[in-house]
Amino acid sequence: MSNDDIINNITAPQKYIVPIGPQHPALKEPGHFEFTVEGEIVVDASIRLGYVHRGVEKAAENRNYTKVMYLVERVCGICSHSHGTAFIQNVEKLAKIELPPRAKAVRAIAGEIERLHSHLLWLGVAAHEGGFDAMFMYSWRDREIVMEILENFFGNRVNYSVNIPGGVKEDITQEFIDGVTPHLDYLEKRMHYYLEVINRDITFRSRTVNIGKIGSEETDRLGATGPTARASGIARDIRIDRPYDGYDIFSATIVLDHRGDLNARFVVRIKECLESIKYIRHVMNNMPEGELSVKMPRKIPAGEAMSSVEAPRGELFYYVRSNGSEIADRVKIRTASLCNWGTVVSSVAKGHKLADMPMILAGIDPCFSCNDRMVQIKGSSKDPQIWTWEQLRKYGINYYK
Amino acid sequence: MTAPHPLISLLVFPCGIFLLFISCIYEWIDRKLIARFQNRTGPQWYQPFADILKLLSKEEIIPRAVNKALFITLPIFAFACVMTAALYVPMFGFDASTGMPGDLIITMYLLSAMTFCLGMAGSNSVNRFAVVGATRTLTQLFAYEAPFMLALLMPAIAAQSWNISIIAKYAETHTWLIVTQPIGFVIALIGLIGKLELPPFDAPEAESEIVSGVLSEYSGRGLGLFRLSKNIELVVGLALISAFYFGGIGNPLTFIAKTFVLLLILAFIQSTLTRLRIDQTVGFWWQIGALLSLVQLLIVILVRVL
Repeated sequence: MSNDDIINNITAPQKYIVPIGPQHPALKEPGHFEFTVEGEIVVDASIRLGYVHRGVEKAAENRNYTKVMYLVERVCGICSHSHGTAFIQNVEKLAKIELPPRAKAVRAIAGEIERLHSHLLWLGVAAHEGGFDAMFMYSWRDREIVMEILENFFGNRVNYSVNIPGGVKEDITQEFIDGVTPHLDYLEKRMHYYLEVINRDITFRSRTVNIGKIGSEETDRLGATGPTARASGIARDIRIDRPYDGYDIFSATIVLDHRGDLNARFVVRIKECLESIKYIRHVMNNMPEGELSVKMPRKIPAGEAMSSVEAPRGELFYYVRSNGSEIADRVKIRTASLCNWGTVVSSVAKGHKLADMPMILAGIDPCFSCNDRMVQIKGSSKDPQIWTWEQLRKYGINYYK
Repeated sequence: MTAPHPLISLLVFPCGIFLLFISCIYEWIDRKLIARFQNRTGPQWYQPFADILKLLSKEEIIPRAVNKALFITLPIFAFACVMTAALYVPMFGFDASTGMPGDLIITMYLLSAMTFCLGMAGSNSVNRFAVVGATRTLTQLFAYEAPFMLALLMPAIAAQSWNISIIAKYAETHTWLIVTQPIGFVIALIGLIGKLELPPFDAPEAESEIVSGVLSEYSGRGLGLFRLSKNIELVVGLALISAFYFGGIGNPLTFIAKTFVLLLILAFIQSTLTRLRIDQTVGFWWQIGALLSLVQLLIVILVRVL
């Protein structure tokens, strides 16, 4: 090395990389983030996902549609109903059957209860990332009420399967409505309380206002969806743009905020909870009469279908291709969290302090389990590297020799 | 009440084994209060004992790249610092075990030395999280020491002495200093929260950002000793503030009542505020805390002079 190189190496600023993940108390699921810091300021960020890849899409190719239904509901624990609904909508489109209105209403109610549950969970987790343990404990105590509703109605606290091919399993009876209404009133009071805390608490505001601010053009360019986009003023909501089950009978309201910072994301999600509560009440009091399900054939006619659903995190997109048999041919899932990662890594992370990173990460409500898909990139310069099982096995044996 | 024989007071009561036990009880009261504020049940009374005993009996894993001697001796040194600091402070209704002119400075030095040990332990562990935590600990040390020392200085000025026992006797005989120097009390309390790294000033050990801060690489005995040192620092800090601002030594029952009230206030502050970032902590305190303490100092000096 020449003298200049040596001097450059000594006097160059030390690049310090703080890894967050795959195992880290801030993350509820594994994911790897590398923040290059100078002191406390983050100057660069990079993501590596893929730790929870389970091969769901491949597994779906061996199963018949009812089993795939069971499988895709378990892609994610807190958006499980959305996954199930999106998938089964495709299959019903392919089979060209129309759901009875009562089934649609039940699906809409289940979707809104799920949104309530997911947002309450997120509220607690995001507060915990910021060090506000009291709100974490309080919001999860209220979440227990929602879990009880889910358990009493659908039979399970997580991964409640409401959908069956052709409709829904459970009915909304009058006694359910009577049991749920006082809980909904209590939850509405609590959500108003949390809204007040978010808007008024000084220390909380000092951690969230003007942190992670991202403008609406940037959000649009990165393709964010869900509450993350709505907090920056982009009016994107599948329930209103392309209404599906139940939302074409009873329409939903959109919640927007124009500030684009962390505080706005909190406000949007809490207001969405309030809207969900109102929606559930409205639908329960005006349930249409009818059957709960329609008979669906086992063999689905060949074709392709696509559908989108507004999961609690954003737009969930499913593509299903059928080749005329009982077994699904190709199921493609694109979850909302995948769109929202860009807002964290591209422009927001740089310039913020390391201490803000966990809250910014939590602000987009990431769901790592939903995310992991395998994408094969065919570069123009290299051959695509696809290995068969035999080649992989041989490579592993040789590696450890 | 007069202190017992120095050897007894060093080894058994009120510093020594008794202090080890009572600091765990104080930790339990703190945790239980926070839990009740958060609508939880909270731990049973023997939980901190169980934690410390478990830690002391576990295997200690020493990372390969650290300085082994420092790694092992820093927890012991920190523990020794706080136990020595406890000797000068009147606790539980008894006089301080020893005293000399200027022991207020020695006590404050020993308490800061303990925080320095934490910072050194963090930078010694080569782990990134520990180094970031060490930076934050030392930054917070700089920010919180000055106003905290000034807040303890003001009763010293009022009592015209640097000896803790004399200041405590002065506080006993005159009106409670919390009434005559309220700003000093507020500064001392907030300074204590910053010194002990309790929420909202617990950026140095922010669990969701830097795992465990300076103690990330510690396990077993070292971790147990550090946690014990932190508990004892809590007791010593509370004893100092209640001796100065709440009217002196008194008898054991009033001491326990006063420290319990202080702990209640601490637990309330801990559970209702979000954790502040390190730059917010330091920025907020350097500006407001130093200003307030200077104001209080001026008032005390003027009263003395006039």
